[in-house]
Parts: sequence; structure tokens; C-alpha cells
Amino acid sequence: MKRWKTFLIFLTVMGPGIITANIDNDASGITTYSVAGARFGYDLLWTLIPTTIALVVVQEMCGRMGVVTGKGLADLIRENYGVKAAFFMMAGLFVANFGNTVADFAGWAASMEILGISKYIAVPVGALSIWILVVKGSYRFVEKALLLACLIYIGYIISGIMAEPDWGEVFKSTVMPNLTWNAEYFYLSIGIIGTTITPWMQFYLQSSIAEKGIKKEDYKASRMDVIIGCSMTDIISFFIIVTCATVLFPHGIMVNEASEAALALRPLAGDYASLIFALSLANASILGAIIVPLATAYYICEAMGWEAGVNKSFSDAPQFMGIYTMMIVAGAMVVLIPDAPLVILMVLSAVINGLTLPFVLVYIIKLINKPRIMGEFVNTRGYNIVSWLTVAAVAALTVLFVCATVFPIA
Amino acid sequence: MAYLPEYGLYYYVMALFGELFLSDVIKKPVFDPKGEIIGRVRDVIVVKGDPLPEISAVIVQRKGRLYLINWASINIFNRRIISSFLYADVMQEYERQSEDLRAVRDILDKQIVDANGAKVVRVNDIKLEGYNGTAVLVAVDVGMRGILRRLGVENRSEDVLRFFNSELPFNLISWNYMQPLRPELQAITLTVPRQMLSELHPADLAELISQVSREEGAALVKDLDIETAAEAISEMQPEKQADIINSMETEKAADILEEMEPDEAADVLSDLPTEKAKEILEAIDKEEAEDIQELLGHEEDTAGGLMTNIFIAYPPDITVEEAIRRFRKDAEEIEPIYYIYITDIHEKLIGVISLRDLLLAVPGRKLSDIMITKVKTVSPETDDMVAAEIISKYNVMALPVVDGDNILLGVVMVDDVIDIILPPSAKRSRRKV
Repeated sequence: MKRWKTFLIFLTVMGPGIITANIDNDASGITTYSVAGARFGYDLLWTLIPTTIALVVVQEMCGRMGVVTGKGLADLIRENYGVKAAFFMMAGLFVANFGNTVADFAGWAASMEILGISKYIAVPVGALSIWILVVKGSYRFVEKALLLACLIYIGYIISGIMAEPDWGEVFKSTVMPNLTWNAEYFYLSIGIIGTTITPWMQFYLQSSIAEKGIKKEDYKASRMDVIIGCSMTDIISFFIIVTCATVLFPHGIMVNEASEAALALRPLAGDYASLIFALSLANASILGAIIVPLATAYYICEAMGWEAGVNKSFSDAPQFMGIYTMMIVAGAMVVLIPDAPLVILMVLSAVINGLTLPFVLVYIIKLINKPRIMGEFVNTRGYNIVSWLTVAAVAALTVLFVCATVFPIA
Repeated sequence: MAYLPEYGLYYYVMALFGELFLSDVIKKPVFDPKGEIIGRVRDVIVVKGDPLPEISAVIVQRKGRLYLINWASINIFNRRIISSFLYADVMQEYERQSEDLRAVRDILDKQIVDANGAKVVRVNDIKLEGYNGTAVLVAVDVGMRGILRRLGVENRSEDVLRFFNSELPFNLISWNYMQPLRPELQAITLTVPRQMLSELHPADLAELISQVSREEGAALVKDLDIETAAEAISEMQPEKQADIINSMETEKAADILEEMEPDEAADVLSDLPTEKAKEILEAIDKEEAEDIQELLGHEEDTAGGLMTNIFIAYPPDITVEEAIRRFRKDAEEIEPIYYIYITDIHEKLIGVISLRDLLLAVPGRKLSDIMITKVKTVSPETDDMVAAEIISKYNVMALPVVDGDNILLGVVMVDDVIDIILPPSAKRSRRKV
């Protein structure tokens, strides 16, 4: 009986954790996993376990803050560290997220080209539809559309199974690290952490939990939501790596893009696997192209105290709609310009993401230890050790990732 | 009060004259009487005061520790210099007390919500003003200016904007509309729930609506009854009026404008985009619309632009008794009324009678017997300041506006004139102190 009740509470509370974690697998994440699988086979699968643990530790803290304070992370940073801290954080987030948006539009364009649709049609149509969805749509409708789109991620699991990997080998590689002293190996393994734990998703998760108004009593259920979400995102990553590792790696096919992986799958794994891979990429890209600009507009307005909300009109919330529109229009245009310096923009975005993340993580851990804000929900001593270690490790690795991106060694 | 040892006397300290923003003093050095730095301003403690909250002490940081300087020990407190009567060695260490309300920690950067809990804006800065020797919190800055000031680029941004011929608006919410503060507050609440707003005086209401964001302002107006809304909008600054009306549905806007004096309505319409103005005008009652349209033809800063074309005019040959009887019926619709104008059959102005004289006159006499024939008038093209001067010089409550043929077109009322001489914002700041 009691278990039944717990389950019911979970059903009402679940959502934010699962949605956030799923959308985290956007175009750049999928690219990283595809490249990792094609280049090193199953060798990098083990990194997913520590990544998942780190993700859970960080997201759990944001979730807890959202439940206890009822405020977003941008709110808390602004209120406790002032305008300057909030402003520079938002400026960083804006540039980094603009890069993410471009990457998502690029992913959308590439996957549509695989399906035989020119990017000069696909990108404007995609951009216009997601712009209309938010500017003219209501919050409930937007949320439903997103939840539905989250289901399409299962496509990656299907294509993974269709690839018929050697499950014994897969399992062994997942639990037993197989280290290779190779610059590219090293770069890709921190890349996996870098694309999985991003600054924007911490803000997004906490805001959506706060907005959902989850009570302190239901915190345990909310934590479950976060843990399940984090596990799901890495299960998807796992299957992407497995697919590429099983099909592409033995043939020595190198890919640099998620869309290339989809194309390369066709002769080896059949049309369906390739099609599912391309469709899933299209879905992930367009989801990212909605959420990343939307999230950016939300936090910036939250931090600066401007009107924000999907339900507001352009004249009610000019900054909010302006930021959202600007990111989509500019993001789509960059993809359409022939020979645009996409690579430089991606690198810049990754660098700023990497540089912002340590600050975000430190703010999170400092905020969650303030009894004035968190009351009895501050970290315990044991959890603090775990989270400081995690934060230190993630921060150090992202800084290394930034260095490796700026000065390629491979 | 402070004690000045070398003279052995007490005197009132006026540490703060004029106004400043909290962000101007945060992190500024505090000097002792010899000019040594004794610490940097970290926060200020706010206590309940009458009529506004005031600063009771300044918290300074010195070598990583916090000290308290009571307001009475502060000598000078302005954006250039902050000094105390105390020396570093006698400063009292600050002990955290849970009931302390600290401006930086507890008020700055907090969310402001309306009485129903809806988010409105954020506190970007706090405006302080010297008042009877204390520093009081007069308003919170909720605009872009506050953010830029905190980032240290207010002046530079102003220069840039001036280059583009625009300026940064001041966006302040008076402290009168804030709920009493308590320590550890999560958000700052406005005192007035939306539903209660119609009980406020329209002028106060106008001030409140002007200070919140456009979205919030439009929502506030939407909840008011037509009459209150019309009065409140009449009291607002022209751009704000246009803003609010523009964001409303045409039907509702038309209802509100109908309720307003035709001259006010014409002013609002002239500030709207042409399309919207036309749309609203079409939805307005035909008779009222004609009155407004007539006024729309005049330049804004002339007597014609200022006047209303609603007035009372009677023929000269009716009796006082008859005039009073008609007046009882006619005046119901119009406000305010000071004079009855006398016009001939061609609507030419031939005389005027004050309401007082009419009531005191013998009932059987004809209006032509008691009217004053030397009437001061202006033409519609007369500059509004000239009209104001005439009203002031001849001590009249209303000034008739006539065309070249002496046909009465409208009247300029004294209250419209006051608004040009003394802009609404000036009236407000006076009232606050």
C-alpha cells in the first residue's frame, strides 16, 4: 500500500529530471558519442559510469535547491552574489548557448540532407516552426510537444540492438576501463563529460523543478526523477557508442559528424538502422534548438528581473522574446551561410561552456551549503566531500578539455 | 544627534544631503576624522522609520572582519566621501543578529512581487535620501539604469544612448507601495493587491501603474472599472497613457476614452499609432467621437490643444431661474464647472457669469442683465504658456477659446494649465517629502 502511494507521488513529481537529461543529448553530444564509438570501439564505454555518477551528484543538488527554495539557479546567484556575477555568468551562457544552437541547427540540416531534404528548405522551415511554437503557443502545448519528442530518443536504443553487438564484450568494456595512452582517446573521454555535464542544464533543471512547485515532502520522489533522468541520458549515449562501435569501428570507418555516422551505417547495418539514426539526430537537434534558446532567454530574464514566459506576448516580454528570436534567427542563418566558420564557433562555444562550468558548479556547492537558504537541507559532511571531489574533478577535466580544444594535440 | 567632544556640545548631524543610490556607497572606503581608512562599506542596517525605513547603522569590513558604525557616528555620507567620527580602535564588532534587516543582503537583487504573488521586477538598486538628519530608503530602482549602475557603466551607456538620440528611463518604485520588510524575506511584496487598487485615489493609482512594467500596468488597468481606469489614465504621463491604451483591446480602450474628458482623450489618441487611433475612434460613441476629432485638429502646445470643447452656454434672454433649472440637468454630465457662457444665436460669445453670481442673483432677472461682457479670450493658436499666464494674471478658473468670428470653441481649464506649469512628476516628489 505504502509502496503504491510512493509510486503515485513519483508519477506526479517526475518530468523535469527526465526531460532535462534527455535534451542534454543534443547534436554535439551525439556527435561526440558517434565519433568515440567509431574511433575507439567499446574502449570508451567505461567513461559513462563515472560521468553518470558526476551528473547525478550535480543535478541532485540543483534539484534539491529547486525544491527547497522554489527559485531558479539564476535567481539564487543574482540574489546572493549580485548583479556582476549574474551578468557575466549570463553573458558567458549566452555565447556558449548560441554555439549550441548553431550546432543543433547544423545537426538538423545534416540529418535532413540524409533524408533527402535540402538544408535551404529544412533550416528555415524548422526555425520558423519552433519560433511559432513558442511565440504563439501556450506553455502546456510546448511541454507536451517536448515530452512526445523525448520518446523518439528510444530510436537510438533500437538501432543499437539492430547492430547486434557482442554483448559480453560490451559489458566487459563498460565496467573495465581499457586505457590507451593516446591524445585523441584522452580528448574524447573528457569530451564525453564535457558534453554531458553542461552549465545550461543545471539552470534548466532547477528552474523547471521550481516552476513545477514540488514540495519538500516530495523531495525523495523528485530525486528519483533526477537519478532516472541522468541514467536514461547515459543509456542513450551508451547505445549510440555501441552502434557506432559495432558497425563502424571494425571497418575502420572514421567519422567526424553524427550525420556521417548515420550515412556510414547504411551499407553496413541496413537502411533502417541508418534511417532511425538520422531521424533520432533530427529530433535531438530540433529539440535542442527549441530548448537551448528558450532556456537562455529564461535565465537571462530571471537574473535581470525581466518579464519572461512562453505565455507572454512580444510586447509584454520584449527581452525574453527578443533573446529567443535572435538566437533562432541568427543560429539558423549561420548554418545557411556557405563556408561559415562553423568550426571556430563550435570551438568558441565549447571553450566558454568549459570556462563557465567550474563557476556554475562552485556557485551550486556554495549555495547549497548556506543554511540561510537551504535550512536543514544543506549538504551533509559526507555528501560534501563527494560533491567537492566531483566538482573539482569535473572542473579540472573541463579546463583540460578547453586547453585540448584550443591547442589540438592530435 | 552627535557629541562633539572639543566643544562639549551635541548637535544634529546632517550626514546625507540630497539623494544617492546604495550602489554608490557599497565598497567605498570609510575615513576616520584624521583621514585614515577604517574599513569599507559592506552593508547598511535598515530599521522601521516614520514615514520611510531608515538606516540605523553602517556595516564596514576591515581586514576580513565586520564592524558596526551607528548612524549617529557617521559624519559625511555621500557618493564622493564617507567619514565617521570614530577611529578604528573603538569600532564595535558586528555581531550577526537574526532580526537585523540588511539592505544589501536582504533587499538588493530580490524579486518584487505584487500582492497576489505574481513576479513584477527585481530590485536593481535602492535610492536613499537625506531626511531630518537620517538617511531614508525612498524608492527601489527596478530599471535598466540600476543594472548599468551596478555594472559601473551607467554614464558610459548614457553617452552611447545620447549619441543615438535616446535616453535611459528612470524606473523607480516608491517605498510607499512596499510591504513592511522583515529579515530573511524571500521576495518583496507590493502593498496593494490588484483588486484593491480602485479604492486608491486615481492620481496614486496612476503613479503606481506608471512604475510597474507595461505588462503589469495593463493588467492592473484591466481589473479596474471603466470610470476609475479613465481617471487614473488621465493622470499619467502622455507616453505611459499611449502605452497602456495601445496594449488594450480596442473595445475596452474606446470605453475608457469615452469616459475621459474629450481634451484628455484627444491627447491620448494623438500619441497612438494612426491605425490604432482610427480603430478606437471608430468604436467610440458618435457624438463623443466628433468632440474628440474636433480637438485632434489643434497643435498640442496651443490653447486649442489644451482646451476642452465641453462647456455650458446659454442664450442671453433666459431668466436666472430658468438658467439654474437647465444647469441642474446639463451639469450632471460635465465636470468641473465654474462659469456659464452666454452666446447669441450664432454661437458668438457675448458674456460670462460665474456660478457664484448666478446662484446669488435675483431669480427673475435676465442673464443679459447680470453677465459680464468684457470677457478675456484667446484664439486656438495661442501658445499654451500664454494662456496659462492669462489665467494666472486675471485669476480665472477657465479661459474661453474663440475663433476669429468670436465663436466659442472651448475652454482651457485651470487644472490643465497646472499640469503644464507643474509637471505631474514634480508634484509627486513634493508630496513625498
